[in-house]
Amino acid sequence: MVELLALAYLLAALSGGIVGSISLPIVMSRSVMFALTLLHSILGGAILGVYLNTVLRLGLPIPLIAALTAVGFSILTAELVEKGMSEDVATALSVATATTITIVFSYLASHVSSTAISTAWGYVMGVSAIATEWDITMAAIALIIVAPTIHLTMKEFRYIAFDEEGARSLGLNVRFYRYLFYSLVSAASAVLSSTIGVLVTHVVLAVPGALALRIGRGHTVVAYSSSLAVILLGYFLARVLGVPPSGGVGVVSVSVIIGMLMYERG
Amino acid sequence: MEAEEVSVIFNGQMALDRVSFKLSSPFFTVVMGPNGAGKTTLLRAIMGMVRPSSGRINIYGIDPARSPGKVLQIAGYVPQVINVNLHVPITVEEVVAMGVLAKVGPPRILTPRVRSRVEETLEMVGLRGMGRKPFRELSGGQRQRALIARALIRKPRILLLDEPFSMLDFDIKCEIAELLNRLHTEMGVDILMVAHEISPCIAFQPTIILLNKRVYAFGKAEDVLRIDILRKAYPGATELPAGVIIGEDHG
Repeated sequence: MVELLALAYLLAALSGGIVGSISLPIVMSRSVMFALTLLHSILGGAILGVYLNTVLRLGLPIPLIAALTAVGFSILTAELVEKGMSEDVATALSVATATTITIVFSYLASHVSSTAISTAWGYVMGVSAIATEWDITMAAIALIIVAPTIHLTMKEFRYIAFDEEGARSLGLNVRFYRYLFYSLVSAASAVLSSTIGVLVTHVVLAVPGALALRIGRGHTVVAYSSSLAVILLGYFLARVLGVPPSGGVGVVSVSVIIGMLMYERG
Repeated sequence: MEAEEVSVIFNGQMALDRVSFKLSSPFFTVVMGPNGAGKTTLLRAIMGMVRPSSGRINIYGIDPARSPGKVLQIAGYVPQVINVNLHVPITVEEVVAMGVLAKVGPPRILTPRVRSRVEETLEMVGLRGMGRKPFRELSGGQRQRALIARALIRKPRILLLDEPFSMLDFDIKCEIAELLNRLHTEMGVDILMVAHEISPCIAFQPTIILLNKRVYAFGKAEDVLRIDILRKAYPGATELPAGVIIGEDHG
């Protein structure tokens, strides 16, 4: 029991690290909309994975299919933006396609297996409080890849977010950095979705970054510490209330946002 | 610098129509015209960020359509301040330093040498000691100066400025114009700016290109700023006893 709890909190801490690393650049570059809608691609990929595993008995790791689908859609979005389409329209196109995949394959999966839909919904809600070694490994790999890459290229992300045209005029390869950023967010979101659930990833992605920008100094420290606090407290609260971890994280995230608004108002 | 019959088409719409002009260095030139006249497109074409559908641009012997990288090495671009995202936490020093750090690969560390170059450049534009300030805390004029410093730190042969006077009070516009003239006369930097309003820099006798998709006039202010010529580019231009109203500045 103690070991299971330790694994769950270790996973929560790793997830907190991932959110802490990507949340600030997401909010800074005004890509919250993209990040949130990206989760539709992850959901689409997860449902597709559930369907393929049920029908073809492939035994594919669902987070991997979800991540690949998300990366595919984010590269599509990045390319459309690069070709001159507005980010809103490109994102809408990706979301519409991903949502169609979700609906169609949910429907098809429900016809071939009685448990397929519940498996998929588990992915959406993040109902499992049990962390497996596989979860820990995935989260650790994601953290090891995402966090250092974000920090190594943070200046570029910040600069492109500050003045994209100016960055181009200075010779920065904006296209490359946009692809890199979208891919990192996709990979991180896919892993988070498989651990804390798609819905809570929606909530928690933007909170630490927004908090860091509001506080105005020590942005990185604030982003990491608030992210860790939100997810660990969320897990703890979920255990106390007897709800899935996603529920606890959701309650803490909403409380932080309300607290932030109240603090700003005086 | 020479533009020869340059046309640019966006989504079937003509943005520039056979634009031609020739400027001999040193030059201090203002491109003026109404909204949607293609002024920014012209700047972008000069920098190689937009490829002309036809025609040719030659800037110090470089064709920007073929070698955009070479143009970016000799040109300093100053975007409109309104296009900058003020939510991004970035200091003045970081903004200016990117002018040189963009030339090296990540992690683009601010070395003491870069810091001292930044400080020198900030002094040049009148922002001495403001390097550690967040960019968003600067006034409109100071932001414009910081963006000019970012372009200047690369030691450009030419400064290309997009609406450097927009959203500024008139006296601040004049200060910016004076700064640009000083850079032009003392450092030999060629200036090509897009502006709705040329009165802040009229004292420096700029060459004016009157643009509205195509070039309607080219020359000194006394030759170009005449109601009969202005009406061609600004159909709504109105003559009053005190002067001519051609439109409204941004903001």
